[in-house]
Amino acid sequence: MSRIGVFVCHCGENISRTVDVEQVAKAAGEIPGVAYSCDYKYMCSDPGQTLLKKAVAEHKLDGVLVAACSPRMHEKTFRKAAESAGLNPYLCEMANIREHCSWVHEDREMATEKATGIVKLMVERVRKGKSLAPITVPVTKRALVIGGGIAGIQAALDIADAGHRVVLVERDPSIGGHMAQLSETFPTLDCSQCIMTPKMVDVANHPNITLYTYAEIEKVDGYIGNFQVTVKHKARSVDESKCTGCGVCMTKCPKKKIPNEFDQGHGMRPAIYVPFPQAVPNTPVIDRENCTMFQSGKCGVCAKVCGPGAVDYEQTDSFTVEDVGAIVVATGFKLYTIDRKPEDSPIQGYGEFGYGTIPDVIDGMTFERLASASGPTGGKILRPSDGKEPKQVVFIQCVGSRAREKGISYCSKVCCMYTAKHTMLYHHKVHDGQAYVFFMDARTPGKGYDEFWRRAVEEEEAVYIRGMVSRMYQKGDKIVVMGSDIQVGVQVEIEADLVVLATAVQAQDGADLLAQKLGISYDKYNFYSEAHAKLKPVECATAGIYLAGACQGPKDIPDTVSQASAAAAKVMTLFAKDQLERDPVVAKVNEKYCVGCFACKKVCAYGAIEEKEIRDRQGNLVKKVAYVNPGVCGGCGTCQATCPSKSIELDGYTDEQIMAMIEAL
Amino acid sequence: MNAKANKNQLTSIEPAYYEAVTEAIRKEAVKILKEDTVVGVVGYLPGRRKGTATPALVTSVEEAEKLVFSPACVNNLSVYLTKAKKGVLKQGKVGIVAKGCDMRALAGLMTESQLQREDLFIIGVVCPGVYGFGVERTGTLTEANIARKCRECIVHMPEGADVAAGTHAELADLTPEEAEEMARIEAMPQAERWAFWKEHFSRCIRCMACRQVCPFCYCEQCLCDKNRPQAVESSPRPAGNMAWHLVRAMHLAGRCGGCAECERVCPMDIPLNLLNRRMAKELKELYDYEAGLAPVEKGPLNQYKEDDDQSFIK
Repeated sequence: MSRIGVFVCHCGENISRTVDVEQVAKAAGEIPGVAYSCDYKYMCSDPGQTLLKKAVAEHKLDGVLVAACSPRMHEKTFRKAAESAGLNPYLCEMANIREHCSWVHEDREMATEKATGIVKLMVERVRKGKSLAPITVPVTKRALVIGGGIAGIQAALDIADAGHRVVLVERDPSIGGHMAQLSETFPTLDCSQCIMTPKMVDVANHPNITLYTYAEIEKVDGYIGNFQVTVKHKARSVDESKCTGCGVCMTKCPKKKIPNEFDQGHGMRPAIYVPFPQAVPNTPVIDRENCTMFQSGKCGVCAKVCGPGAVDYEQTDSFTVEDVGAIVVATGFKLYTIDRKPEDSPIQGYGEFGYGTIPDVIDGMTFERLASASGPTGGKILRPSDGKEPKQVVFIQCVGSRAREKGISYCSKVCCMYTAKHTMLYHHKVHDGQAYVFFMDARTPGKGYDEFWRRAVEEEEAVYIRGMVSRMYQKGDKIVVMGSDIQVGVQVEIEADLVVLATAVQAQDGADLLAQKLGISYDKYNFYSEAHAKLKPVECATAGIYLAGACQGPKDIPDTVSQASAAAAKVMTLFAKDQLERDPVVAKVNEKYCVGCFACKKVCAYGAIEEKEIRDRQGNLVKKVAYVNPGVCGGCGTCQATCPSKSIELDGYTDEQIMAMIEAL
Repeated sequence: MNAKANKNQLTSIEPAYYEAVTEAIRKEAVKILKEDTVVGVVGYLPGRRKGTATPALVTSVEEAEKLVFSPACVNNLSVYLTKAKKGVLKQGKVGIVAKGCDMRALAGLMTESQLQREDLFIIGVVCPGVYGFGVERTGTLTEANIARKCRECIVHMPEGADVAAGTHAELADLTPEEAEEMARIEAMPQAERWAFWKEHFSRCIRCMACRQVCPFCYCEQCLCDKNRPQAVESSPRPAGNMAWHLVRAMHLAGRCGGCAECERVCPMDIPLNLLNRRMAKELKELYDYEAGLAPVEKGPLNQYKEDDDQSFIK
């Protein structure tokens, strides 16, 4: 016979107001196998916990049930108390008679009956419960950061500064990401490159950071503390160990008229290039698509002029396997291209805005390059079509964002602020120019943000028109913008020289594929999902993988940097121990009866299930069964529900426990 | 005249067609046994009574020359690879004669990691249909004696086999008895439908023949045989019977290829394939999925997609 103790909490008046706690305690005392029961005003308080500990010793209890709030709230508290009284902590359970009962009911009699029922069935769960020991797994104290924008750079630097080794993998030839492209940043108007490039150099020089640029994640194996990540190093055609970064190859390359991606296609670069002068590493890469040598086999100028002989046309993609204990995903965003409807995409384009057909309709990032001192115009605002200074500029907000009918319902968060910034930059550079902004509403939460926006409106003379644009068309060298001013209730028509579209922030191309490699979840827009929107905002549901920056959702630079440092802090917490202790509520396979259909493996969201071979003494394969890696298992129970022969059980939630609970009702 | 037009006019399949298929199977089986491609071939041998056939594993050329195919070859042979002759696959590659419905089971078993394609040499049979039960089971196959499941067969031509025996042959204008019966039951008010199944299940003697013959019931211990904790009562009483048949139907959802062997072997004539078909219909409507047409990585019930139908959540 078991000796279970039941402790019923009043939770001040939270529970006792609707539930007759004394009655519940009395009824619990009558359940066979319950050796002790009582009620108390605050079980979680120090005297309450002492009461529990004393009762365990005095009544020789072998299981404890606390009928109080949600286990999410105080399970840890009471398990700790039970442990200090000498019980296995997993023999202590909670019956939730607050959220599940007193808070949602009014009738005292019926609520008391329900609370008694909950206690009854939870007593059965305690009775059938087993002692569990925490699971320990070793930790490789080396982190992988995917993405070399400001998020990845910040996370990598923080982890490296804490003394841990970091591998930073960037898809492009240089780190820096979108922030390196920006001109000045809100709300302080400080130069983006001036604050970004020192950090990029810090990454390159940091003894703890291994930087791989022009590289991608090929495959991810393993689990928290023990990932094996295969990195694909794309053929750069330049030997990084030999290149001195002198740049002669770039000046001598005969093919120089290739639109530069860094300048949004508005500047030109040679076929062998670094994306921008401050690139890190300062090692060029050959764009094989546009290189005469690769396309026709005749040229080879860069190889001839290269002093150290670093140019290597024969280079092929190579692979390395990196052992890491934690992964920070910081792959950032891309901007919505609105000119046409992308294939196989639910997103509708904005053909009516003429983006891609009217040359002087540009997106926000292009405006950044025009306003940037390092940009194609040397920082002068000149329009792409004829290089003239535009005197009337129309900015349109929420292009793509917040437009459910176009396929995106979220707010891109940064556009209100950067458009306000654009109007200011424009006003600073073109004193006699006029900026108009079509907007739905200005969203400016953030330190100094609203002040910044008001400055654009009140001091920098931007004209804000509340309403959307319905149509734009070219008329001579002007763009006629037709829209509505809904505050005044009139139609507006502006003849603009330049139109800037604040296009939506979207997840990076291939974000879904990377998520599938990592085994992390993502939403319908391909933004990565955090484990809990409020309480675990940087963790993925997959243990050991953390999120930083706009890959999780649109974010500005301060938020991105904060999250990157938070992700780094999580990695450091993980690395603070040599062995990782995990909650032992994990699934176990009954290998005797498992027939290896691997339905469990297919449904496992954590990638915790592996195929295991069972062999006889002669080494002949008997069968293949599922094996749950306890280091990875999240204890969700999906495999248990899926297994057709019920050969998987979740510790703490075994079929025996669940059936006993049902029978108790 | 093209083959399709020809087909539409067939009102009977003469024994000569089956003889031609038999020849083709023998030729192929002998060949792969001689070449040592396989260690054995699972097929049909003539039964003791005239006009019957019995499943067999043949391992020699002499035996292979006795293989037959006729409308009496009703059994789904895939079950011999995972259950009845489980050991044979460990000795090497195995040949198997597969009708379209057997092929669907094989594809399903591959999906569920129970079989590997490279371990099999599949002799696909272009099958016009087999005999039903309770009918005259000799001679020409016609509307009068064809099995219910064959009336609406969509896999006369098995996909994914190594070789095919036979050419296109299909009976025209068959009455879709099963579909009609399903429509009749679906049209019943809920209480009447419940009573219909309750009556059928109350007759179940729990002989478990449906489980034994099903290619997808390959668990080494069925959850319905577990007694600690017991999920399904094991004695033949109404509540336990109902639970067993619900578990069976649910476990086959998205997997059953429609061979209807469960219904054929049921000694109490419970129309089990109607339940299977009803589940298959759900899968088709919800996920546009038909089980076993080809091996897949994951069936729709083993994955979640954002655009999955969620109207069932109320």
